[in-house]
Amino acid sequence: MIKMSLRGTKRRSNPLSRREWLTLAWKGMLAFCGLLGLDGLLRFLSYKPESSPPTVFRLGLATKYPPGSRTLIPEARALLIQDTPGFKAYSLVCTHLGCQVKVIGEGLTCPCHGSRFDLQGNVLNGPATQPLHPLVLEVQPKGDLILYII
Amino acid sequence: MRPSFFHHLHPPTIPADQARWRFTLGAGGLSLFLAAVLLVTGLLLMFYYVPTPEEAALSVQTLTFLVPYGGLVRHLHYWAAQFLVITAVIHLGRVLLTGAYARPRRFNYLLGLGLLILILLLDFTGYVLRWDEGIRWALVVGTNLLKTIPPTNLGQAFYGLVIGGTEPGAATLVRFYAWHIVGLFLPLLVLVGWHIFRVRRDGGIAAPPLEVADGILLGDELRRRERIDRFELVRRETIAALLAMAVLLVFATFLPAPIAPPIGTTDQQVAHAQAPWFFLWVQGLLHLGDPFWMGVLVPLGILVLIALIPYVLPQPPPEEQGRWLPRHGRLAQVVTVVMLVFLIVFTLRGLLEK
Amino acid sequence: MTSMPQYVKILLCSFFLLLAVLLAGWRYSQQPKPVALTPVLSKETEYCLTCHANLPEISPSHPVETFGCVICHGGQRLALDADLAHSTMRGGRNPSDLSVVEVSCGGSNCHNRLPNHEGDLYGNQIQRVQTSLQATYAGAIAQVRYAFGAQPDPSARMGAFAVQDTTLPTSTNITSLSIFDPKSEMNPAIRSFGENCLYCHLSANPLPGPAYAHLVGCAACHTPTANTTLEQPIHQLTLAVPYTQCNICHNRGNYSMLDMQFHPRQDQAVDRLRDYYQPIAQFTHCEWTLDCVDCHTRVEAMGDGDLHSSKKEVQYVQCRTCHGTLAEPPLTRTIISPNDLAVYLAFINPVVGDLQVGDTIVVTEKGEPVWNMRRVADGNFELYGKASRKRFTVPLVLNSKCQQKEDEQAARYCHTCHIVERNSLK
Repeated sequence: MIKMSLRGTKRRSNPLSRREWLTLAWKGMLAFCGLLGLDGLLRFLSYKPESSPPTVFRLGLATKYPPGSRTLIPEARALLIQDTPGFKAYSLVCTHLGCQVKVIGEGLTCPCHGSRFDLQGNVLNGPATQPLHPLVLEVQPKGDLILYII
Repeated sequence: MRPSFFHHLHPPTIPADQARWRFTLGAGGLSLFLAAVLLVTGLLLMFYYVPTPEEAALSVQTLTFLVPYGGLVRHLHYWAAQFLVITAVIHLGRVLLTGAYARPRRFNYLLGLGLLILILLLDFTGYVLRWDEGIRWALVVGTNLLKTIPPTNLGQAFYGLVIGGTEPGAATLVRFYAWHIVGLFLPLLVLVGWHIFRVRRDGGIAAPPLEVADGILLGDELRRRERIDRFELVRRETIAALLAMAVLLVFATFLPAPIAPPIGTTDQQVAHAQAPWFFLWVQGLLHLGDPFWMGVLVPLGILVLIALIPYVLPQPPPEEQGRWLPRHGRLAQVVTVVMLVFLIVFTLRGLLEK
Repeated sequence: MTSMPQYVKILLCSFFLLLAVLLAGWRYSQQPKPVALTPVLSKETEYCLTCHANLPEISPSHPVETFGCVICHGGQRLALDADLAHSTMRGGRNPSDLSVVEVSCGGSNCHNRLPNHEGDLYGNQIQRVQTSLQATYAGAIAQVRYAFGAQPDPSARMGAFAVQDTTLPTSTNITSLSIFDPKSEMNPAIRSFGENCLYCHLSANPLPGPAYAHLVGCAACHTPTANTTLEQPIHQLTLAVPYTQCNICHNRGNYSMLDMQFHPRQDQAVDRLRDYYQPIAQFTHCEWTLDCVDCHTRVEAMGDGDLHSSKKEVQYVQCRTCHGTLAEPPLTRTIISPNDLAVYLAFINPVVGDLQVGDTIVVTEKGEPVWNMRRVADGNFELYGKASRKRFTVPLVLNSKCQQKEDEQAARYCHTCHIVERNSLK
C-alpha cells in the first residue's frame, strides 16, 4: 500500500498495485520507444537533397531593354518593366496560391482562380489579397542588368 | 484478458507438441515476420528510389549514404529479403521432412511453393532495381534465358514482354519496379493470406490424431494431449520476432547491402560476374551445358518434381504426422535431402569461385 | 526450453533488441556527417569534402567552389563509402593521365578548346600534349630504330603509345604513330633500349627515388614533385614550373647507345649552378639563373599539334629571341585587346604582374608571346622569372660590343664567349 501524507487530501482508495505499476511503466517505455521511432521516421522522411534553384539572373545589357518596354523573363518567373523612373521587376507568382499570372493587355491575370493585377502589381480583383512581389534589380558599372529573386 | 484482433487471428489452442521450436523451427512464422519487415522498409525506400536508368543507382546511393537512417532501412530490407529466402526453403524442407504435405494439406503445399517462386522473383527484381554494374550481367543473362525458350517466336515474345523493348533499358527498369512493388507483391499478399487460412482450415499444424486410451492417460499420451492457448502462442511469436529483429539489426549495422557504380560509368571489365547468391546454383548449372536445358528446364524440372511429391509419392498416414522423418515418407525425404544437398553444393561452389 | 516464465523471456528478448538498437545507433553516430558542395560548373552536389576537407586547393585557377572534385577526378559524388566513391575515378589519383586526360582536363569546354584569345594560334592543349614529343618519345624511338637499321629514315613512325594527329593539315606529313613494342623488335639493341631507356615520357612510370619522382600526364610538369617521394599525394597544379621539375627527366645523366644503359650523373649538386646542368654542358649566365620555362615556350614544351620526328623541329627559341641581334632588337607586339593571350597568361601566373592594353611585350618568331618580358618606360626590357620571381633587365645585342655574325645565331656561337666556367665561380 502506498502511504501518502498530503495535507488535506483524501487517501486514494485504489492505490496502484505492483502489477499495475509495472504494466504502466512497460507501456510507458513502449510509448517512449514509439516516439523515438516516430522521430527517426520523420528525420528519414525530411531529407532534402541540396538543390539550389538559381536566385541570380543576368539579363544582359540594360540598353537591350528600351524605355517603355515590358519583357517577360520566363526562367525567373518575372516581368521586367522599363519605365520613366527606371527599371522595375515583379514576380509573376500569384500571391494567392502560386500559379503564374499572364500579361493580358494592360494588366496581369491569373489563370487559376481569376485574380487580376495592374502593371504596378496592385491587386485589382480576385481571391489574391497581396500585391505582386517586387524584385531587386541591379545595374552594374559595365551596364549589365542583374535580377535577384530572394 | 480479452483477446485482441491479433489474438483472434490465431486458433484458440494448438497442440503443444507441434508448437515446439524443435518441430516447426519457427520457419513459417519467421517468413511472415520477414515479409512484414520487407513491407515496411520497402515502403520507406519508395520515398526516395527513382526508377529511371539515370537516377536509379544515384537514388540508391542517396538512400544509403545521405538520407538519415536510409542506410539502415536499406540494409534491413536487403537482409530481411535474403533471410526470407532461407527461412522459406527451411520451411519447405521441414514440411517435406515431417510429412506435412500429405492430404488434406496438398493444395496448401502448392500455395507455399507459389509463395517460394514469388519470393525468388521478388528478390531478383529487387536486385535489378539497383541498376548498377553489379547486377548488369545478371539482368542480361536472366532475361536472355527467356529467349532460349522454343519456339523462337515464343521465347522472343516472352523476352520482349519482360524487357519492354528489344534490349534492357528504361522500360525494363520501370517494369521490374512495377513487378517488385505491385505485380509480384500483391499476389504475395493474397497467397500469404490464403496459405495461412488453409493452415487453419486444414486443421492447423500437422499433428497426429488424438486417441482415447481406456480412460487413463499415460505419460506419452498426456504429453501429446497438451495444448497451448492463443495467448501463449502470441507470446512465443513475440519472442521470435524480437530475436529476429535483433539479429536483422546487427546484420544491417555491420554488413552493408552490396552496392556498385551505376551502369555505364566504368569500363573496367569484371573478371568474374556472379549471379545473385540465390541463383548461383543456376549459374553453376549453366557452366555445364545448353542454356535452355540447364537454365530453364532443369530448374523448372526441379520445381515440378518438388510440386509433385505430395501427389506422386506415398504419403505418411495421419498417425505418423507431427514428427520428424515419418516412416512412410522415406522416398520423399530422400528426394528432399538430395535436392537440398544439390542446391547447397552448387550455391557454395558459386560462392567460393572468386 | 528453459523454465523461465514467458514474460521474463519476452523481457530478455526485448533487452537484446534494445542492445541491437543501441549498437546500430552507436555505429550510426560513428559515421562522418556528410559535407555537401555544389560546384557552380556542374551544379551536382558532391560529398567528397566529408573525408577530404583538408586537401589544399589545387590552384588559384581551379577553386573548389566552382569546380568541385568530380568534374576532374570522376568518382561517385554521392557515395560516402571509400571503395564506391573512388571506384569510377579517372586515372586513379591522377586524372591528367594521358589515357583519361581528354575527359578530365578537356571535358566539354576546358583545355581542349579552340583558341579564343587574341594571339593564340594553337589552342587545344590536350591534343597538343598527346602528340608532343615529350609524350610520345617518338624522336628518341625513331633515332634509335634508324641507327640500328630497323627503319630506313629517322622519320617518326612509333611512339610510347599509339596516337593519331586529328588536327590536320600537318606540317610534318606524319598523321599517326603506332605503339613501340620492344618485344617485337628483332634487333637486341633496340629491345634493350625499350627495356632500359623509356622512363621519361609522359606516360612512363619513373625510376625509383626522389631524384626521378614525377607523375604522369599533365602533372608530370605541372605538379611539382622534385625531390619528393610519391607516397604523399601532392594536390597542386602550377604554371610557375621550376627548373628542378624539368630536371627530373632532363639533365639526369646520359644514355649510352653502346651498352643501351642509362648512366645517371654522378656529380653532387651543391647549389643551383652545379645542380642545373650536367658537368659536360655548356651554358651562359641566364641559362642557369632563369628557369627553363622563362625561355622555352608553350609550343616547345607542349607541342604544336603535329607529330614531329625530332625535337630539333620543335625547339626554336634562341638567344636572339630575347636579346635581338646586332641588326635589330627582339620582335615585339603591343597589346591592343584586353582579350590578348599575353594579358591572360600574365593574369593567371601569380608571380609576374598583370599586363595592360598598351604594354609592349616580346614575341617569338612564331608569334608566341614572351609575356614575362616587357618594355619599360626607359625603353629597356625587363624580364621576370616565372618561378624564381626575380627581375632582370635584359641587355640587347643591338649597339653592344658583341662580335656575332648575323647568320650564326645557334646557342653554341653565343657560348663561345658567354660560357660560364663552373670552376671559376665560388
